[in-house]
Amino acid sequence: MIEFTSVWGAFALLGSDLNAWLYLLPGLVIGLVFGAMPGISITMAMAFALPATLYMDFLPAIIFLTAIYTGAGFGGSVPAVLMGIPGTSSAVATTFDGYPMARKGQHNQALGIALASSVIGCLMSYLLLLFLIAPVSNVVLRLGPLEMFAVAVWGMLLLGSLAGSHLSRGLLAGVFGVLLGTVGMNTAGFTRGTMGIPWLLDGIPQIPAMMGLLAASQLIGLINTNYLITDESSRKISFSKIVGGVRMALSYPTIIFRGSLIGVIIGAIPGVGSSISNLLSYSETKRNAPDGDTFGQGNPKGVIAAESANSSSEGGAMATMLALGIPGGGATAILLAAFAMHNIVGGPSFIANNKDIVYALIFSNFAQAILLLFVGLGFVYVASYVVRVPLRFLIPSVLVVATFGAYAIEGSAAGPITLWVFSVLGWAMVRYSYPVAAAVVGLLLGGLLEGNLLRTNQISGGDFIGYGLERPWALLIFALMLGSLMLQTLSKRRRRKQTEREAQANAASEAS
Amino acid sequence: MNTKPRRRIVWGHLLLLIVIVGVVIAYLLDTRAASLRINNLLLVQPASILALILAALVLPGIFPRSEATEEEPEKKETTGDLVRVFLLIAALAGLAFSLETIGFDIATFAFMVVALAICGEKRWWVNLGFSAIFTVALIYGYGSITPFPFPLTIL
Repeated sequence: MIEFTSVWGAFALLGSDLNAWLYLLPGLVIGLVFGAMPGISITMAMAFALPATLYMDFLPAIIFLTAIYTGAGFGGSVPAVLMGIPGTSSAVATTFDGYPMARKGQHNQALGIALASSVIGCLMSYLLLLFLIAPVSNVVLRLGPLEMFAVAVWGMLLLGSLAGSHLSRGLLAGVFGVLLGTVGMNTAGFTRGTMGIPWLLDGIPQIPAMMGLLAASQLIGLINTNYLITDESSRKISFSKIVGGVRMALSYPTIIFRGSLIGVIIGAIPGVGSSISNLLSYSETKRNAPDGDTFGQGNPKGVIAAESANSSSEGGAMATMLALGIPGGGATAILLAAFAMHNIVGGPSFIANNKDIVYALIFSNFAQAILLLFVGLGFVYVASYVVRVPLRFLIPSVLVVATFGAYAIEGSAAGPITLWVFSVLGWAMVRYSYPVAAAVVGLLLGGLLEGNLLRTNQISGGDFIGYGLERPWALLIFALMLGSLMLQTLSKRRRRKQTEREAQANAASEAS
Repeated sequence: MNTKPRRRIVWGHLLLLIVIVGVVIAYLLDTRAASLRINNLLLVQPASILALILAALVLPGIFPRSEATEEEPEKKETTGDLVRVFLLIAALAGLAFSLETIGFDIATFAFMVVALAICGEKRWWVNLGFSAIFTVALIYGYGSITPFPFPLTIL
């Protein structure tokens, strides 16, 4: 699986070129700062730095861009934890438990947990990439619309677990989100729900809508509060608590491993990537956790699951890009553009002829992940000070930054207007106990669900079952999904019986 | 004699549900008006019907018995608190809709001044100073890293 001659070649490349190392730190810092700003996506951060790479050699250029990729991947979790704003779609699940932890005064631990999970997730994804680059790329080529649809349905299962105490409201929020996610022109060319507004042809702008639903709605609801954390003594910024969070993440190796595996596999599927992997990992962890009921209220396991999956998606996306030359998302498309700028064509021939460069990239990403731990510790320490800012300053400032971010993403007033509409909707939903997270998941997956369902319908000629039986990978995904649901039901029943037994034993001991 | 407490109406929740149901019905009708072919209705029609069924299931929660406490976010806040929320929403609308017309600089500064006042900053010199510094820093800081130029009037 590993060619040792190429490994030595990679070490020689990295050892002989000091530039390859010099760009690591600036790349990480640029990524962290950009990623932490609401509305600035990983792709935007990399696109911003792309012109600078024209004057670098090929390997340092790609290392610089992947360092930005790694830094921005974690940077998005900082506003997700501190303000409930998912800087990117891959940080949505981080807000579910990270923000409640911050509101409870556990912001230091939450950031430490997010950092450690990201670092380990990133390390594991590149470790898996080292061994699995060939088999993963082989599998990706066999995935069709039915398999993508199966993955999206798996993501939708999260709706049930996000519903909270009002199941019907949770499901309504989710289905409403799915419908909103299908607004615009579908893949068959039919235009619906645009109300004559041209920019809705491409669908509702997702990131501004997400920022509005999750963050702005929360901020509006906080107007009658003085600080993000009510208890003054909990507002302290503590480096030791951040490190404590790092240690806490290490005590859940199974969650990190599961998240990383989900991240690599889902990240490798073009067009799906980290925006779904974090939701899937969160959903699976909640399903399997004995304290699954406390997810959404500030359970550290939720943060670990989300962050390990979204950071490991980078490795999966790199596998597809390096092995097949297919960009899975915006970030890998920028990397392919950087390849082209250096007159190099990505894909099977690249990997066959330049294994030493591929291994050098993988090894430099190990270094990036380790360096991220130290740079990230300093970064989150500084960022934590946001909890000390009085809300009367924080609310208007963050709303303006979010509005600027929404404009920057769309390039027109479509972004800010979407942000406003969904802020009001989100505020009303929170007020009447509708889980906004379910609406966000629906919004993210609606287009994907419909697109792949349509393609499956067109390919199968309407015979879904007959076509499905010919697709072993789709059957495998559906089987895994069913298996996961059955395991959840069994473990729930076992837990209930155990609780009943304990209650009976307590009653018997009290009676005697 | 009926001893059950009387039902009441949570008006805000009713309004939210009317908006959701209204959007779903309008979207379904618009989709059907676009085309009745399966490639158009495959997901939207069943999902819309499911949404309407779910909305019907939510409906009883809007008319709780008087003793129920979970449907009462209104009771925890005063009318003044709610007015501040609506003022902030109105100010945000002003920002979103006026950015391109009056320029990001003026719109941002005006929003900051109004929003800070709504959020409780009573010292006018702090309000004006913070709003001005924040606007300038944001326009030049954020503006330098985004690919789209922000339309400006003064700066």
